[in-house]
Amino acid sequence: MAQDTGGETAAGPWYDRAQAAYTTLIDVKHTISSLYGMVNVPTGVWIDEKGRIVRPNEVAYSRDVGFLGISVKGSQYVAALRDWVEKGAASAYALKPEDVAQRLPKRTEAQDLAEAHFKLGLYFHFKGLAALADQHWEAAQKLNPESWNYHRQDWAFTPDQAGANWMAKYRDLGDKPYYAPLELEPQRP
Amino acid sequence: MTFKPVLGILIGMAALRATSGAFADPVTVLYADREIQIDSTLPDASKLWVSPEELPRINGFEVKADGAVLGSLRVAVEPQGDGDLLMTREGRRWFNVTGLAQRLNQKFVHQADPAVWSFGPIPALRDAGRDPLEAPDFELPDRQGRPVRLSSFRGQKVLLVTWASW
Repeated sequence: MAQDTGGETAAGPWYDRAQAAYTTLIDVKHTISSLYGMVNVPTGVWIDEKGRIVRPNEVAYSRDVGFLGISVKGSQYVAALRDWVEKGAASAYALKPEDVAQRLPKRTEAQDLAEAHFKLGLYFHFKGLAALADQHWEAAQKLNPESWNYHRQDWAFTPDQAGANWMAKYRDLGDKPYYAPLELEPQRP
Repeated sequence: MTFKPVLGILIGMAALRATSGAFADPVTVLYADREIQIDSTLPDASKLWVSPEELPRINGFEVKADGAVLGSLRVAVEPQGDGDLLMTREGRRWFNVTGLAQRLNQKFVHQADPAVWSFGPIPALRDAGRDPLEAPDFELPDRQGRPVRLSSFRGQKVLLVTWASW
């Protein structure tokens, strides 16, 4: 689903190219990132037939990717996913409830306040009040610096500087990973 | 002799100002994914006072005899007289939305001019009273604008993936 303030206009052509056979949704206000505590894209969540989370937020590339210092074994994620599709709860990659609970993102008051600011940023953006939008987006970013989504949505509106902005923040990470590493060890039954 | 009509007009204008100044301008409230227009509030930069009848369309709460209620969430409210959450001004009852938020540890931000209040989530609704392992339900439009609910996929496995064009 597209976390895209640009809506169908921005996200549509990408879905067309992918010839998506799956359900494709547009999330202009980042509702899902907020509900699920997501901070970057692509993020995947596995949900079973009863609506319960089987694996919470993980980086979800469909193949192995490598860029700059970032390396993600998307092929392993897909292999684990196929195993779960086939075996369901018996899959070694279906997490036990206590492990799901432990991996759920922790919510903080600062994040909640960031969300209130982020919504104001979106509101003023759509009203054409760019300075006010920026003010609230900056406040959101200061309160929730872990959220790449906040930054990237903001940068999308200044595409010429977006690359430089991203690079500067990426360098600030230092030793911290851009994506939390995949922990795909098969679990013993 | 010429004073009387002038005085009469001055008093009339003063009275008019007092009445219209009692209520602040309309405000916009951002709550969940909604934008709610509220026509009259009390002028207060730190508290959002609205008519109790407006409360449900803002945050879903209703003011009942034993408190402000939403599902199993109940916050005690002094039903009579003036309290933190409910009071009388200018012959009307007013409910303090931001006061309720504070009781629930709900974050909010006020932007003055244009007047907008933005609320974050209510932690108690997110954390307790709901199985934390249950995937939060939502409704979003597909590319043709048709609403799709996550819960409509019950009975199937779902891989939920978020991405972005930027």
